[in-house]
Amino acid sequence: MMLSMDKKMNTSEHAITEYAAGNLSPAKHAVVACQSEICEEVSSRVAFQEQIAASMIEQVPTKALSPLFMGNVLANLPLQDAPSTDTNSKNNAPETLKHLLGCGLDKIKWKSLIPGVAVHDVLGDRHNKTGDRLYLLKAKGGMQMPNHGHNGEEWTLILKGSYNVGDKSFARGDLHIEDEDEIHSPHINEGEDCICLVMTQGPLKMQSLVPRLLQPLIGI
Amino acid sequence: MTFGNEAVIIDNMSNNESKSYSDTSRASPKSLSAAKRDAQWLYSISNNQDARALSDLFEIYGPKLKGWLMARGEGSGTSEDIVQDVMIKVWTKAGSFDPVKASFATWVYRMTRNRWIDHKRKHGRMDVRDPDLMKIIADDEVQSAEVNFMAQQNSDILREQISRLTKAQQMAIRMAFMEFKTHKEISEETGLPLGTVKTRIRSAIQALKANMAKHIGQMQ
Repeated sequence: MMLSMDKKMNTSEHAITEYAAGNLSPAKHAVVACQSEICEEVSSRVAFQEQIAASMIEQVPTKALSPLFMGNVLANLPLQDAPSTDTNSKNNAPETLKHLLGCGLDKIKWKSLIPGVAVHDVLGDRHNKTGDRLYLLKAKGGMQMPNHGHNGEEWTLILKGSYNVGDKSFARGDLHIEDEDEIHSPHINEGEDCICLVMTQGPLKMQSLVPRLLQPLIGI
Repeated sequence: MTFGNEAVIIDNMSNNESKSYSDTSRASPKSLSAAKRDAQWLYSISNNQDARALSDLFEIYGPKLKGWLMARGEGSGTSEDIVQDVMIKVWTKAGSFDPVKASFATWVYRMTRNRWIDHKRKHGRMDVRDPDLMKIIADDEVQSAEVNFMAQQNSDILREQISRLTKAQQMAIRMAFMEFKTHKEISEETGLPLGTVKTRIRSAIQALKANMAKHIGQMQ
């Protein structure tokens, strides 16, 4: 049990290092960017590693800008933005997510999968067999998600509500990383709906027959 | 944005004429005053719509950012397009820059990295590195040091601390953040066994964190 927790800490630390260095796929990059917006603890860990990454730029050979570069940019400067007022309240969607969606969480069109569960694609295609895919998942409070494993990693960032897997609980700002070899069936806590930003690689592996039959139809 | 302590941030520059700061600071861009110099330029961009300060900033940072993008495999044209977008964003968002939260070097690195990932997303390229390399990095947390570190905006101190690591440790930090290579490639190129490469990266980051914590402890 302890070993498994240590492993999870390592995974998230390694995700942060890769994020800071710019080595993550766009889907994973978006997940960590969103997490660092809504979780202060992660934000400071990210900031530390970004400082290292930024200072390492000093050691990369510089490349001269073309002679016309500066003049072109300066001749076409737009008006400056007014300083932003920090309106990010506790339950707002991260700015990174809004940028990808083109709107807030309240404006998106959910697609129903099974009763109580709806999804919305953000990056890539859930039907695609390869590559990282990013989607929003909304599950009703109190429901048990189908038991499933993965063909690749599954990264789940909780934006709203909470759920339990065994004796571990996950709430807003938590990033839940599952490896290929893990099987789980999250239990959504009673009360509010749970909204998550999910990155998966390859189709999920359903454990029971009915979801397995439905899978090609619903595409998850 | 809060500039309540700007007098502290720009202290030794406030006596100079507005035109002369760039000449004095350019003489030693790696000196401890680099962050202060940058903060002064940002202040001037935001408060005086000072295009000269923007061009001074990018005379220094433009070639570095272009060099980083080209080291990551982008062509000269694409790299300049990205640097141009970042330069315009620095102009429009200068009012949101907060030198207490991060140095300009980190702020502009983060913008460039994110703009580059955005570019890859739009062009459908997935650049997934061998994840094993990063799995071994940085498995401990020095939370309190990181928070204090941020509050004191010590990017130059970080650079100094990196330079105080042993040559082997400095090289390991480079591997983790700058070489964009898998651990296998690093092992082959250096002739070091795989396990040694992994251990060196992890212990270098740990040493850097410990030195930072000690340094900040001495300052308080």
